[in-house]
Amino acid sequence: MTKKLNLSDISYSFSKYMYIVSIVLVFLVFTIMSPQFLSLYSLQNLALETAPMLLMSCGISFVIFTGGIDLGTGSIASCTCVITGLYVSQVGNSIILLMLVVGCVMGVINGILVSKLKLPSFIVTLCTTNFWNFVALRLSPSGSQIIPLNKRSMVNWATKDVIGFPVIFWIALAITALLYFIQQYTVFGKTILSVGANTRATRMAGVDTDKAQIAAFVICDACCALAGAFYAYKLKSAVPTVGLDLNLLSIAAVALGGASMVGGRGSVLHTLVGVITITAVTSGLEIIGCNALWKDIIIGMILILAVCLNSDSKGRDLIIK
Amino acid sequence: MKKKLVEYMGSSTVAQQFTYKVKLDAKNEKIRRYAPLILLIVMTIICASSQKSFFTWGNIVNLMYQMSIPLVISVGLTYVLLLGSIDLSIEGVMGFAGSLVAYLVLNRTNSNNFGIWGIIFVIILCTLVGAFTGVLHVKARIASFIVTYAIGCIMTGFAVLVYNSNPIQVSEPLFDSISRGSFLQIPYITLISFLIFLIGAVILKYTAFGRAVYAIGDNEVATRSAGINVDLVKIKVFALCACTACLAGILQCVRLKIGQSSLGTDQMFPVVTAIVVGGGSLYGGKGGAFQSFIGVLIYTELANWLTLMGVDPYFKEVILGLIIIIAVTLTIERNRQTISK
Amino acid sequence: MKELLFETKGIGKTYGTNTVLHDIDMKVYSGEVIGLIGENGAGKSTLMKLICGAEKPSMGSMYLRGEEYHSNSILESNHQGIGMVFQEQSLVGALTIAQNIFLGREKKYSKAGFVNWAAMNQDAKKTLGQVGLNFDPNKKVRDLDFAARQMVEIAKVLNVVTESAEGHAVILLDEPTTVLSNEEIENLFKQIERMKKEGNAVIFISHRLDEVLKVTDRIYVFKDGACTADMNTKDADESVLYEKMVGRSTTGEFYHEDRQTAPSDDVVLEVNDLSLFGIFNHVGFKLKKGEVLGLCGVEGSGKEALCSVLMGDEGQTSGTMSMDGREVTFKNPCKARRSGIICVPKERRDEGIIGILSISDNIVISHMEQISSRGYVSGKKMKKISSDWVQKLKIKCVSINDRINQLSGGNAQKVIFARALESGCHILILNHPTRGVDVGSKEEIYSLIRDITEKGNSVILLGDTLDECIGMSSRIIVLKDGVISGEFDFPAGEKPSQFDIVKMMM
Repeated sequence: MTKKLNLSDISYSFSKYMYIVSIVLVFLVFTIMSPQFLSLYSLQNLALETAPMLLMSCGISFVIFTGGIDLGTGSIASCTCVITGLYVSQVGNSIILLMLVVGCVMGVINGILVSKLKLPSFIVTLCTTNFWNFVALRLSPSGSQIIPLNKRSMVNWATKDVIGFPVIFWIALAITALLYFIQQYTVFGKTILSVGANTRATRMAGVDTDKAQIAAFVICDACCALAGAFYAYKLKSAVPTVGLDLNLLSIAAVALGGASMVGGRGSVLHTLVGVITITAVTSGLEIIGCNALWKDIIIGMILILAVCLNSDSKGRDLIIK
Repeated sequence: MKKKLVEYMGSSTVAQQFTYKVKLDAKNEKIRRYAPLILLIVMTIICASSQKSFFTWGNIVNLMYQMSIPLVISVGLTYVLLLGSIDLSIEGVMGFAGSLVAYLVLNRTNSNNFGIWGIIFVIILCTLVGAFTGVLHVKARIASFIVTYAIGCIMTGFAVLVYNSNPIQVSEPLFDSISRGSFLQIPYITLISFLIFLIGAVILKYTAFGRAVYAIGDNEVATRSAGINVDLVKIKVFALCACTACLAGILQCVRLKIGQSSLGTDQMFPVVTAIVVGGGSLYGGKGGAFQSFIGVLIYTELANWLTLMGVDPYFKEVILGLIIIIAVTLTIERNRQTISK
Repeated sequence: MKELLFETKGIGKTYGTNTVLHDIDMKVYSGEVIGLIGENGAGKSTLMKLICGAEKPSMGSMYLRGEEYHSNSILESNHQGIGMVFQEQSLVGALTIAQNIFLGREKKYSKAGFVNWAAMNQDAKKTLGQVGLNFDPNKKVRDLDFAARQMVEIAKVLNVVTESAEGHAVILLDEPTTVLSNEEIENLFKQIERMKKEGNAVIFISHRLDEVLKVTDRIYVFKDGACTADMNTKDADESVLYEKMVGRSTTGEFYHEDRQTAPSDDVVLEVNDLSLFGIFNHVGFKLKKGEVLGLCGVEGSGKEALCSVLMGDEGQTSGTMSMDGREVTFKNPCKARRSGIICVPKERRDEGIIGILSISDNIVISHMEQISSRGYVSGKKMKKISSDWVQKLKIKCVSINDRINQLSGGNAQKVIFARALESGCHILILNHPTRGVDVGSKEEIYSLIRDITEKGNSVILLGDTLDECIGMSSRIIVLKDGVISGEFDFPAGEKPSQFDIVKMMM
């Protein structure tokens, strides 16, 4: 059986090795950079910056793997950031667990609306986004509120360095590893990609696709909620606008990792590479003195490029709307 | 409902059941068709009862004025939703158009004074952006939600770049005269908006292009087999949507005399809700200019009423979210084989 | 002297290694109605696809009005004068009747981009009138019932074909009467008569022999991809046609009849008074352990829907299913699988294979919970299971990590079988399991089915052909118009004739 080389073959290979393209991009960015970039101090900063983003991107990966999208990740993070910032001084560190639970509940709501009511995920998440935005802005209507200095001791542990890197970073890394384990080695993880590749066939094969979709949203929203809490710890304040950019960045990270935007293909580890790439690009832009206003534009263009290269329509001739 | 079917089933043949079901579906369809009008009447009654001066000319004009911008947006968005796609770049394009036009006309930040040529330039530029979005969607086979989302972020970025974080204040006399002028007490802005809507509606109903949009949304395969250039139609639709978003952005700028990216914020979602409530379908093939008009009217009355009742403006968005979920659930269609996930 | 309008010489079609049609010589004269009959899978639909331009022939040639005929698309065929009225309707519900008839051809009514709908409506009314319809051309197609839509489609095809072609047209009708009432069928026949008088030719596929005998001038009978008879209608009657349509072409060895197990008395699935509103009614039967139960019926008899309900894809309107004496309800196929029922779907590409995943992933997907221990799935275990199946079923591939959509039809189907067998379910519903599969793989699949029943599992089989159904099953239930019209119980060696069963089906 001779295989003809055509465009879809090329783009399939591209997408398989997309994450390598991303790593190359990172190295490129580094070489343009001044060598100070690689000093331990800036790497530590980078790690601190990356940690919440990493959580969010890995979380949203699961939803994208199932073929959906979550446009509310930024709002969830904003919401939990505000709640954490405002109440950590009273409730203590257990607020992190509370936020996790809140995230799970959000995920269940989103998941049920998408799977049982068969609503398109972008509409559902846009709707629920409004709600989380509302909560965030209601609780902190006059902008950021810092955690009072006398209560700082409660939150300082998160940004302290352990083995050279902040605690938050290690936690984020650990959760990423856990998510990778879930994706690669558990029943649920295996079915997630299947659901994204062909929901109908997966259902006919006797897999509970509804449960899989709900679980994907639960993971995504729980991670985002956690990321929001981490932001509060990192910024030591309740910031209701922290999530504004995050959605774009996390989706771009997933795309740069070679995942298909319509589901069925991707890996958490590759998303990790995507996150590193995105962070490197954004930090790099800062260092070379690029106008901060170009950040969104460039990330947006990178996203489009990544999705174009990833576009794998072979074996899928559904109508794209 | 199921009980009714079971009762009927006991005494009939399969063929009879089938015809019964078809009749039942037709009846439901009729109800769905008149629901928006009924909703409008209900909403109007609610508003009228909380507001003594509801049916005065002054209040009606006010309502029309508030409808203006959403109506313009709804033109392009109606076309896109009829295809079964979505355009998440509207807010970005609006913000960009408003900012760029503020930059080009007489303003307090720089010495530009392009006047009407500035406006024309912005319109052409945004339409080209829309066409580019369409090309990406069609040729690179990227789902509309992701490509328009990315373009939207990019356009918002360009908007902020244009005014360099310092919103531009417009002092163009043309804008002044448009925003202050009125005819029969109806502001020019409202008249312009309604005119744009009318043009969009006429194109949708009376041209082959407009019908092709319906056809593609309903049955893309059959439309392709009929020899219609589906790709070209889609590209045109996205170009048109960007054009109307641009016009809406320019009107916003005229109204507020300021150029900044937030001209577009929170503008798209209410219009999507309005179109769906008016009878449009998220999956394509259903809806139209008239339905969108009813939807926007319902939304405007609701927004007004909520403000009157003193409801938190942020909570308004939450309510809209709930409404759209209910509306889409009620009009749910099975057996749809699209990629909308 | 009638004009030879259309002719095929040695036409055939092969999909991969699977030849579904071969050596068809057909002559169509202007002003006549040709009937095509044959059971499912005999090749009639394939021939239609070749003629109307939907597919290209693999061998042979076609001639239209004396010149060689090629077509790359349905549209091209239309322009040359050949049009087909499809079963799955190709109308756009959101548009009006007139807009549908002239879809893609609005140019002649438009000036400066704006279409003169009034003029188009007028022409549409004329066209509708020509087929005896008086619908309002401004009515939206989605508001019409099936019968009306069918007639509009006929009007549309007629208009497209007769307008663009120079000369007489060939109109193909694929099972047009299935959704029509008696009155509407009469009208359809009148229209066919009219088309005849105008010198066009009509090719008419139907499984209703009485209709074929009534309206056609000549009949071609198809069986197993070849034409077995070509006769004048006046020389034919039902029994002659049945004889040409059916009759054993394959021996009992093909279906491994010697391995047909006698079912035990244990009932593994009991269906009581099952009904799905508008599709099937009061269906009841018992499935025994170790048996192959065949479900026979024509398109629209309800057997596909029955399948969907049994495997949990759709819920029934009333009636019950019980397994081991306990009543069961399946909210989704997952619950059905957990109870022991799994299906090999008919549409392999859309509902069977998960295209971009590997062979290995496709095999294990239905059995994940059991393969894993406490949620953890070992890659090694998956590999071993998949490799074992690939070996056992002789699936031709380079590695188990190949994407499944690169496999041939027969091999992909074997992967689906591996999945079903791996799932550990004891009731397998096989929906057209040998569709699009080459002869060699077919036999292997039949052998597989025997393996399944020998182990004590049960199979419900919706056969690709009647032959297959009879050959494989030990019991057959016939569905007609949504109700059970007959039941046959037989051991190997005493199989019923196809004739008996076909009588119940139609």
